[in-house]
Amino acid sequence: MMDAHQLIVCRCEEVSLAELLETAEAYQCSARELKLRTRAGMGCCGGRTCRMLVDQVIEQATGHSPSHTIPLGYQPPVRPISFQTLGGRNR
Amino acid sequence: MNQRIVHHPVLGSLDAGKSLHFRFNGTTYPAYEGETIAAALLASGVRTLRVHEEKGTPRGIYCNIGHCYECRVTVDGVPTVRACMTLVQDGMEVTAGVVLPTPLKKGGHSQ
Repeated sequence: MMDAHQLIVCRCEEVSLAELLETAEAYQCSARELKLRTRAGMGCCGGRTCRMLVDQVIEQATGHSPSHTIPLGYQPPVRPISFQTLGGRNR
Repeated sequence: MNQRIVHHPVLGSLDAGKSLHFRFNGTTYPAYEGETIAAALLASGVRTLRVHEEKGTPRGIYCNIGHCYECRVTVDGVPTVRACMTLVQDGMEVTAGVVLPTPLKKGGHSQ
């Protein structure tokens, strides 16, 4: 496998696999806490690219599959939307 | 440079539409009507569409289906426009994302 320090999981916030694994190992936390600690999943795309991988890192580190009691939430807006668009600009 | 696939074994021949021009970071590039910004730039050999806001590492087309936002650019002053989903219009002014200041971060910069 590629070096985990070189392997980017969250491209928006540029969080590497190594960073995620180290954080998950150290804190034995939920996926949501991992997100808040590393910012993985908090970028422009709204976590749609790396969410599953963040869940899998937690599963690997803690042995618990994500329970979704403390989920990596799916919530609106589904896409990043500007206030200009909300205000009626049509692009 | 023109890297368009003009004859494709499955898709057939490229029926190029109207010829357009747009600007990316001040340089004028050609495009055909119906091409996305990302496709037109790729055909001209431009692969880097922005740099990461904090780390400055290059970014370009990643998913090309509008999911990942990696190719986001500023179009006519509107930020966070997906280059892979936006059709080129004649005279469009496209600019790449740049490194943003991080004055509150340890070791950050204000420029």
